[in-house]
Amino acid sequence: MKKLTTFALISMLGTNAIAHSSVDTTTPENGAAVAEVPSEISFNFADDIRLTKVNMIHQEAHTVTLDLGDQTSFGRAFALPLQSMGEGTYRIEWRGLGADGHAMQGGFTFTVD
Amino acid sequence: MPDIWGIGAILSKLMLYVGISGATGLLIIRAAFTDLVLPLGDMMRGQIAQLAGLALAGSVLGFTLRGAALTGGADGMTDPEMLGLLWQTPVGDVLVYRVVGTVLIVVGVFMPLVGQWIALAGGVIALWSFAQIGHVPEMEITGVRVLLLLHLLGVAFWIGILGPLHTLSQRPEYLNNAAMLGHRFGQAASVIVPALILAGLLMAWMLVGDMWALMTTGYGQTLLIKLALVGAVLMLATANKLRFVPAMQSGENKAAHHLVRSIEIEAVIILVVLAATATLTSVLTLPA
Repeated sequence: MKKLTTFALISMLGTNAIAHSSVDTTTPENGAAVAEVPSEISFNFADDIRLTKVNMIHQEAHTVTLDLGDQTSFGRAFALPLQSMGEGTYRIEWRGLGADGHAMQGGFTFTVD
Repeated sequence: MPDIWGIGAILSKLMLYVGISGATGLLIIRAAFTDLVLPLGDMMRGQIAQLAGLALAGSVLGFTLRGAALTGGADGMTDPEMLGLLWQTPVGDVLVYRVVGTVLIVVGVFMPLVGQWIALAGGVIALWSFAQIGHVPEMEITGVRVLLLLHLLGVAFWIGILGPLHTLSQRPEYLNNAAMLGHRFGQAASVIVPALILAGLLMAWMLVGDMWALMTTGYGQTLLIKLALVGAVLMLATANKLRFVPAMQSGENKAAHHLVRSIEIEAVIILVVLAATATLTSVLTLPA
């Protein structure tokens, strides 16, 4: 009976988890190729969100946590300064809190060449 | 496959569900069938307090895990800024409901006379927390929140009978109590259980909306698994009501043994149903 429970619990976990995400637009756009490293990145959300963590991952190797500065209140538009790491792929991963208490997360990627 | 925080969220929800439904269920059974469960008085008191403690631990763990989801690391579980942020949202409100509810259960269960009503009120407050945030409350229809509360009270009633009936059926000297408890529960359940299932189906229909989403989305499929399992428990419960309990009433000791086995299987399936529900409410999003 223990085996049955364990099996059922594990099979239950094999479902798709989708975090609540409501990002509308980003600059640069997801998948964009740009000539120069942008001095800042921006997000626009469909609903109010409080950003809690934004990481930049360069070339899937170096991770830098971006400083949220004074953008630590609920809002829909955020712009954060970006530190240049040269050419290559930049992946931005963000986490935040919706006004209803939902944790939200998402990410976008752009290339500098 | 959910990440480690998703799995943590499901497990903390499961602790919460088992704890609150178990504790409140035992309180309802104790209030409804006082004379029949009298021999189990002290044991039930201990179980109710332990289940309320489990629910309290699950609530606090779930709250801190939401902090971790905000930073993406274990540091978020104790980050005062993250927990402070959560505290200001409805997530903080439901934590208050659950802490107050479970503490009232523990305090009430050890108080004489009026204590059982304080404990029951604690159980209802803790159950009402589920009508504050989540997919069903987000529909923002007061009637549906009440429907959810009634569904949960029905679930608690059903879960609450399992322990006392299991224990009484194993003691030959209380066979009459067990048979009468099974009989009277069966009478009440023949009204309450169909009502709770109907309420569940109505909420599911309001959330999912169409058959296609039910078949093709992770949410819909998990809901179907839950329904199939509920169907299995229902068959066992029907067998208990129609076969084993009447046999026990006519003094068959062997029937009590069958009932004990049946309740054990029922309990395991109900645990899986609660795990499916925890998955539905923690990591799966509603079909668009």
